[in-house]
Amino acid sequence: MLAYRGFRILQWVMERLPRPWAYALAIVVARLAWVVSRTARRRLEFNLGMALPHADRRTIRRTARQNFRNHSKAYADLMRLPQATVGQLKPLLKVRNQQFLDQALAAGKGVLVVSAHMGSWEVAAAIWSATITPVALFAEELEPPELYDWYRTTRQRLGISVLPLNRTGLKQVVQALDAGEMIVTAIDRDVAGTGILVDFFGRPAPIPTGPAAIALRKGVPLLPVAVYRLPDDTYMAEGWEPIWAQPTGDREADLRRLTERLVRHLELIIRQHPEQWHLPHHIWESSP
Amino acid sequence: MKIGLVSPYDWAHPGGVSAHIRQLSHHLRLLGHDVKVLAPSSRKDVADPHFYRIGGVVSVPVNDSVARISLSFNLSRRVSQILEDENFDVRHFHEPFMPALPMTVLRMSTTANVATFHAFAKSNVGYYYGRPFFRPYLRRLHRTIAVSRPARDFLRQYFPSADPEIVPNGIDVETFRPDHTPIRHLRDGLLNVLFVGRIEKRKGLRDLVLGFRELQERVGGVRLIVVGDGPLRSQAEGLIAKHRIENVVMAGYVPEEVKPRYYASADIACFPATGGESFGVVILEAMASALPVVATEVPGYLSVVEPGVDALTVRPRSPVELGAALTVLARDRDLRARLGASGLAKARRYAWREIAARVIDVYRSAREIAGAGIEDVHEQIPGLGPA
Repeated sequence: MLAYRGFRILQWVMERLPRPWAYALAIVVARLAWVVSRTARRRLEFNLGMALPHADRRTIRRTARQNFRNHSKAYADLMRLPQATVGQLKPLLKVRNQQFLDQALAAGKGVLVVSAHMGSWEVAAAIWSATITPVALFAEELEPPELYDWYRTTRQRLGISVLPLNRTGLKQVVQALDAGEMIVTAIDRDVAGTGILVDFFGRPAPIPTGPAAIALRKGVPLLPVAVYRLPDDTYMAEGWEPIWAQPTGDREADLRRLTERLVRHLELIIRQHPEQWHLPHHIWESSP
Repeated sequence: MKIGLVSPYDWAHPGGVSAHIRQLSHHLRLLGHDVKVLAPSSRKDVADPHFYRIGGVVSVPVNDSVARISLSFNLSRRVSQILEDENFDVRHFHEPFMPALPMTVLRMSTTANVATFHAFAKSNVGYYYGRPFFRPYLRRLHRTIAVSRPARDFLRQYFPSADPEIVPNGIDVETFRPDHTPIRHLRDGLLNVLFVGRIEKRKGLRDLVLGFRELQERVGGVRLIVVGDGPLRSQAEGLIAKHRIENVVMAGYVPEEVKPRYYASADIACFPATGGESFGVVILEAMASALPVVATEVPGYLSVVEPGVDALTVRPRSPVELGAALTVLARDRDLRARLGASGLAKARRYAWREIAARVIDVYRSAREIAGAGIEDVHEQIPGLGPA
């Protein structure tokens, strides 16, 4: 409850500040977090070490520092969302390889956008939801519940549905895809604990198979997309060619093959922007 | 025809009259007319080539609400310049007695003048004391329009000689349709009651929150969704917290692109205004989305709804009655469907296409009265103007 109060106070301040000021405050907060949250820092450094096996300690540390700063800025974006309009956000987003999204949508089966925990997804999702097709996000249930409610209401205001990772959520995903909508998921962390072990940066890690399973069953295209912040604090959404599931009859093997293919894309995306891979959590067995 | 629409309200700020003018100008253009808008604006960077910004904006409390209007009296030169350049066939003033922009324009106007009266209130001191001042202006209006019977009666209270034609507000039936995608997580099995409006005293959200509590005590699995922002938002949130009312979603100000999807996520729409409404555009939006409506019996709303056919109506300022009406609807799926279907049929009659055509008829008659009824070439082309 106290944490939520603190969040709301910070949020209240953030949404009233001009954007550059909000970012300046975010950087101060990032410094504080760097000192305070040792576990998060150690886990992030471990994860970055996995992603960048040839980097030395100093590079890892520097990247982790930048990562904290970007993560804090992404939170600032989120906190400013209640005051945002689509018109304000729109000029901030650039899109690379829009044709892949168009291709995927043209099939009329909806699209499963697969990504990592990166950048400010809210901005891209809000703009697409208003201008291309409705967007739904999968989101882990946050603690405390008030915070989760706040997330949901804030995103919903801009037309983004937030679906829980349970049976109801899954049913709604199928409905949404049938209606030609876009579902955004991040598969670099197995929140529900139902994933399979797949090599992730060369070492097995549990990866959720939901997107691959839906793609296999319903023929929905999987679209790898990265959203990252550019140096001038605008955003880039970069897409890759859509992946179409080709079921061979052996469901287990298909699922594994497809999920592995997605993870290869994740590795590519993360290595491109390790300073924006915001996942200071336990992923691999040996992680602190 | 070459038409100039004149508004006293801030063009950059969402509001009933501005939205009305946006839609009207759009549909008049679709009917082949040349339309320009003159209004004050708090933003200087309006990029619309059909828009003239005239002066800035101040906020003035009016009618339990806040009007964002221009109070600058030094506009004459700019306005006369525009009028000279544009040479309109018809000038259409909205809320002509609102200071100060339309008044300046009206004073200089020599061609066909039409005015629409949107507002309604029990009394208006400005109108009362302004009578001798306004009367000469009223005489210069060749035709007048009121958006509803209450708006007409309100005008007549002060100017008995006024005889406005009633042309209601329209609804954009392409934007508000029943088949929009809902916000998925709001369609989780709970029954959703939707409020749309600015959170201010006269919209009556307080009554609805208390009425919703009554509903919740009697019917399980209901949610209240509040779309809109305003000065009383924190008060409403305080009330919800104080009574520990669960399942209330304060969505805040929702972008126009997303609003239809909120209607599509709801089961019942509720409009608990305490008075001061001259119409009820939100009611038409709900009806166009095929939602059953619970509304208070205030004159403006009653001019739109047909109690028992497309809406259940209750007395204003009565949380108990609101709760009872919501309970009846929440328990009766067939009734909801029936009211929703009738509402949808009604909304189609209020489509902007139809309304714009009726406004054109008024323009025509104003031009005849003004003696300026020269048929221009546009109207000779079939399909462009109603014959």
